[in-house]
This record gives sequence, structure tokens and C-alpha cells, in this order.
Amino acid sequence: MSASSSPPATDLRRRVVVTGLGVVSSIGIGVPEFTEGLREGRNGASPITAFDTTGYEHTNGCEVVGFEPEPFVHTLGDQLGRAGTFAAAAARMAMNDAGLTEGELRRQRGHITIGTSDAETRDLDTLAGQDLAGGPESMDPALAGRLSADRLSTAIARELGLSDVESATLTTACSAGNYAIGNGLDAIRAGEADFAICGGADAVCRKTFNIFYRLRTIAPDYCRPFDKNRQGILTGEGAGILLLESAESALRRGARIYAEVLGYGLNCDGYHPVAPDQASLTNCMRLALDDAGVDFRDVDLISAHGTGTKTNDVTEVAAIREIWGESAPRTVSLKSMIGHTMGAASALAAVAGTLAITHGFIPPTINHVETDPECDIDCVPNHSVPADLKIVQSNGLAFGGNNSVIVLGRFQETA
Amino acid sequence: MSTSANPVITAWSAISPYGIGRQAFEEGVGSGRVALTPCDRKTWGTRDEVVGLVPDFDLRAVLGKKGTKAMSRVTGLALATTGDLLKEIPQDHRAGLVLGTTAGSLQTTMEFTRTSLAAQFPHHVDAAVIPYTVMNASAARCAIWYGLKGPNSTIAGGRPTALHALGYARRLIRAGRAETVLCGAAEEYSRARSWFAYHDRAGSRPVLGEGCAMFALQAGPGSEGEALAELVAVDTRISPTPDRTAETVEAAVRRVLAAAPDGAEVWTACPSGADDSPGRQELSVLADLFGSHVLTHPLPSVIGDAGSASAAFQLAQVLSRARRDPSAAGRLAVITSVDVSGPVAAVLLRLSDRRGNEETSKQ
Repeated sequence: MSASSSPPATDLRRRVVVTGLGVVSSIGIGVPEFTEGLREGRNGASPITAFDTTGYEHTNGCEVVGFEPEPFVHTLGDQLGRAGTFAAAAARMAMNDAGLTEGELRRQRGHITIGTSDAETRDLDTLAGQDLAGGPESMDPALAGRLSADRLSTAIARELGLSDVESATLTTACSAGNYAIGNGLDAIRAGEADFAICGGADAVCRKTFNIFYRLRTIAPDYCRPFDKNRQGILTGEGAGILLLESAESALRRGARIYAEVLGYGLNCDGYHPVAPDQASLTNCMRLALDDAGVDFRDVDLISAHGTGTKTNDVTEVAAIREIWGESAPRTVSLKSMIGHTMGAASALAAVAGTLAITHGFIPPTINHVETDPECDIDCVPNHSVPADLKIVQSNGLAFGGNNSVIVLGRFQETA
Repeated sequence: MSTSANPVITAWSAISPYGIGRQAFEEGVGSGRVALTPCDRKTWGTRDEVVGLVPDFDLRAVLGKKGTKAMSRVTGLALATTGDLLKEIPQDHRAGLVLGTTAGSLQTTMEFTRTSLAAQFPHHVDAAVIPYTVMNASAARCAIWYGLKGPNSTIAGGRPTALHALGYARRLIRAGRAETVLCGAAEEYSRARSWFAYHDRAGSRPVLGEGCAMFALQAGPGSEGEALAELVAVDTRISPTPDRTAETVEAAVRRVLAAAPDGAEVWTACPSGADDSPGRQELSVLADLFGSHVLTHPLPSVIGDAGSASAAFQLAQVLSRARRDPSAAGRLAVITSVDVSGPVAAVLLRLSDRRGNEETSKQ
């Protein structure tokens, strides 16, 4: 299959740029605080409070603490669970950050895609408990009515009062954020949307914690990607939203351009429900680089999926080695800081990659003691470093073999 | 078919309350038979009077015992439907797959947590269930079973989600990310879904249906096989409030009609038939725009509310009727869908010029 040809550098209508960011995370809410968290290498881990952890030996997670939605979410009340609230709040942040207003967005054809792993599964867990305790009659109707995953994207449209807007949620698990950004990229490239609000959102829930616990992949204390003694993930939560528009539109309105979305790739292992497949991931990275029109040697930084499980890190580094050989670029894992935020993971990584390009630094892989010889890359251990970044690649993998990789670049009007 | 750049639907399959396979669906739609049956409340743990179940869908009998342990019903429906569809089209391991969903299998996911809460230790759960508690399980399982390595995605857009899936599949084809995309949507009947619907409807009990319909969408010019319809336009949007569904539907319909080829006439308009205020607004808008005589008969009244699969069944309904009606050849079909939570969608198809497509089904 031929990848779509990258747009000619002269066609600013087909080049897609990031002009707004919104963030809810365990290491910072809002762009300034999140940027600071990345620079400092903050650890978002704390004991889980989302559900009763009695009976589990390991009980750390990366929860968003002290989040007040009121400044950002005005209209939706109990129509929204925690994930939807994160999504709507981060979307409004991104709109404000882009210097746009609801009125300006309403005059254009819009696009919203949100990626998620669990949507409002946290509510489903609550309903399961109510069902067990008091039977199905006793379930809370407000929770029962907001379980459809599409609510995450619809919430944003309703919150911002957007009607002429394509809106959908992609539930491709742990890589969903990249799927969403890629869908927005294609919509703007094709002239089907004037702007796109894309990203991912998820909330910590018992079901997902239980999955990883049962698979023995919950870390006892912290997440240590690429470390010799890594023991798995910490489940996390939050939202990362990017506001995308064509370069032409951004330049016309004199917007601040953070970075360009150069391209993306997506494929499916078709191999195993939970284990990653090296050849397929390698192929996905190649698809993304081809789509972006980027030579692999020009990649300055890889933001890895980097879950910190034994299998993921070895497989991912081997796939990187397949392309880069011995000269792999620095490869970091945001999950060391914010945990595995599921469908928000690659969206938050895209926000981080965008900020890294903008501010000229590489976020660290924290909790790092000794690099595993089997994943021998420079993971920028523990401390961020200044760096001149032109091209950043960000990997997303998921259960079910749903891979997606995006490529971000510093924007130059004449490429 | 025209040689436009629009992708075309070349084949489809369905598993529905009318039975397993496309022919059963075509016959059901052709006869207008009501496929609702009394609900076996004890087995299902529900209190519904009647239900639109896929008859005789014992997952392990249909798909075999190997690899089906703990499989959720919705995944079984998607696997079997996709398997049927793959018999109709040339093999292509690079094919993509886009599946519409509400939220995966609410039943399997809820049961997983319920088991954990009831167990002596919360992690005493069956690992075999785990893959089916993730919302992309059905699409991913199809990829594993049939060796599909192309783009594989699961999309949630409320009741219209199958129309979102069509639009997303078209985008993948246009961007050169796949040449063929299997797309559609699946929904299961379950205890969880029944009770959630009951609570969401303030204690009334909608008649629920289930099933899956899948379509092969291929790049237009030079695509292999016989095109059944050309996908001319897709528009999705959000109704600001439930009481403004009518104007939102009208805006969506007008936008897709703006893409209609010169001189082509509308042969049919197909509403979701949703049994609520937005559904009634949609029906009256289509009647106003096109006249009641060209509307298709709303499906929920005969097979139940198929949730996220409902718009996939609407598309199957239109293609079924077109195959039996020579006057459909070369004309247009409008399909719309609405959801009380906001999503609205309209799709415009141009039906094949050929009268009645060759029977290629191997059932």
C-alpha cells in the first residue's frame, strides 16, 4: 500500500499545525504547569483513591488531584462522568490557548475526535457495585444514561456550543489519542474541516486496574520504563487536547504556531489480544514517517509508548533498532511521570512533544536506576535536557494490536 | 457506476433478528415481517416483554469452540458477520476494518467488575475475559481471526455510529491508508444493556434489538467486483439540544444533497425510526423534504432498537430494497440517524445503475 504522499511544502492549506493545547494530568493542569512538570520530571504517583483498593498488594496510581472543572466546564453538569469532564475542560483550555472563541469556531466547519480506552467505565464499575448490592433496579439512572463512549466528543461540542461539527470518539484503547489526532489531520488535509479538536481522555477505574493487576503488570511502587528492574505500569488518568488548523488559517489570523503535525500511520498486528508485535510496530513507524515525508535519520526524539512492562519495552526498542540500528534517537517514556493514561496516553505525549519542540527541551524518563541491556537506548534518565528539536515521533500501541504513530515537526513556512 | 472518485460499497453481510446472513435480512425486509419474540426473562435476567434477538445465535455453535471461550456476544456477532462478508470479496490482508460501537460489551465489562467485587480477592477474575472488556475487542478480534493488518478502528458516535464508520472508512481510503475497508457496527442484547436502557428511559422499556451489519467499502475507480452503491457524501453534526434535532437533520440532509450528481433523483429516504422525540422530529423533516411516500419503513418497529448497529441495518435495508426494485437503479438514497444525546448524521448514496445485482452469496 502506498502511503499518502506528504503535502507539498508550498500548499499551506494542506499542512496542519497545532495552535492550541489543553491538558489535565497528574503532573500539572493547564499548559504552563504541565510544561513545568515535564521539565522538572515530576512523579505523578500516589495511592489510588478512585476505588477501594482493599485486597490488592500494589495500590499506586497516577490520579489527577485537586482538579476544579468549573472554570472550564459550564453547561453539562451530571451529563458527564469524570473522563468526559476532563475532555470538555481540556478542549476549552485548548480553544482559549489558541486565542479562539466559541463564536469564531461556530462560524466554521469543525471536527472533534477524542480517543479513549474506557470512556465512563468508572461509572460502569459503580453501577456493577450497585447491582451487586441492591439489584438492577437500584442502579443510578444518571450513570446508566452516560455510558456511551460517544459522550466524550459530544460533550465538547455541547460545551462549546458547536453544531456544524463532525464529532466521534475512537475507542482504540491505549493508542486512541494518536488515532484521534490522525483523524483530525486527515480531515483538515482533505479540506473537510477548518479546525479540529483532537486528543484523548480517560479516568482511573477499577476495571482497568484489575486487568493489569490480573496480568501481573502493575508496578509495586513506580513506573520505570527501560530499567533493568522495571515491573510494569501505574494506571493513570487525564486528558490531552490539541487544536489543529491548516497552516494557512493559522498564518492568516496571526496565531502562535506550536508545531506542525507532519503525518501519522496506523495498522493492526492481527496477532495477539494483549502482546505487541515487533514487525507490525516497525511497519507502523515506517508508515508514519512516509506519510510525514520524513527521513528516519532526521528524527530528533522518540516519545515511546514505553509502558514499563517487561514485554513492551523490549519489543518497542527492538522495533526502533530495526529502523535506526545503532544510532537510535533519544527515546523517552512519559509514562514514567504520568503513568499509563490509557486513551489519553498518546494525546498527552503529543502535547508533551509539541511543548518539547516549542521550548527546546527533552522531558526525562524518571525513576530510572539502571538501563536494561535489552532496551539499550538513551532514555534521558531522571533529568530533562535542553535540545534543539525539529522532528519528534510519538508511538502508540494498544491491546488488540491497534498501533498508531504520529510525527510532529517544528513549523517552518518554507520547508 | 460512475467513474467518480467516490468510494463504492461492493458487498455486505448482516446478522440480525431476521436471521444469520444477508439473504435472511433481505427476505425479512422484503416481507416486512416482524422479528420480535417474547423475551425469555429468566435466561437473560431482564424484564423486557419482547425483544429482537438474533435467532439461534449460539456463539460457540456458529464460530466453533476454538478461541471462543469467554467471548462476548457482540464480538461473536461481529466475527461471524465479518467472516460472511470476507467470502464475498477478494482476499486482501491490507484491508482496514472500522466498527461502530456503544462502549464495547457493557455486559462483559460489568460482569468482570461484578465478579471482582464478589470474589474473596478482587483480582480473582478469569484472564480469558480480559480481552473482551476492552472496547476495541471486536474489531481487534476480527483482525486476529482473519489476518487483517490494515487500519483497524472502533468508533462511537451514538445511534448514527455506523454512518460515522462509513465516513471514517472513506477518509482512510481517500488518504491512501487502505484500498478496502470493512465497516459497519455491532450491538448485543444483554442484561446490562436492558437495565441501562430502562434507567435511561426513566423506567419505560424500549424494545431492544441486536446484531451486526458490515459493508465492504472500496476505492471507486478500478475497484474489483460489482459496486452496489457509490458513497456520495457523509455529514455528521451535533444537535445543540434534543428539541433542535429537526433543524440539525435538515442541515445535514441539505449538505449531503449539495453533493448530488446533476439530474439524479432521490429514490428513497431512510430515517432511523428512533422511538423518541428526536426520532419523531427526524421522521417529519424527511417527510417534509421528500414526501412520505419515499420513506422506508422504520426498522425498529420490526426488529427492535439495535442501538449502535441501527444505522448499519438502515444501510442494509436500503441496499436490500434497491436490489428488488428496478426503479432504484442510478438514483439516490438518503439515510439519516439521530441520537437524543446529540449526534445527527446523513449519508447520500447513489445506487448502482444495474438492475438487480448478481446473486453472489454462498449461503
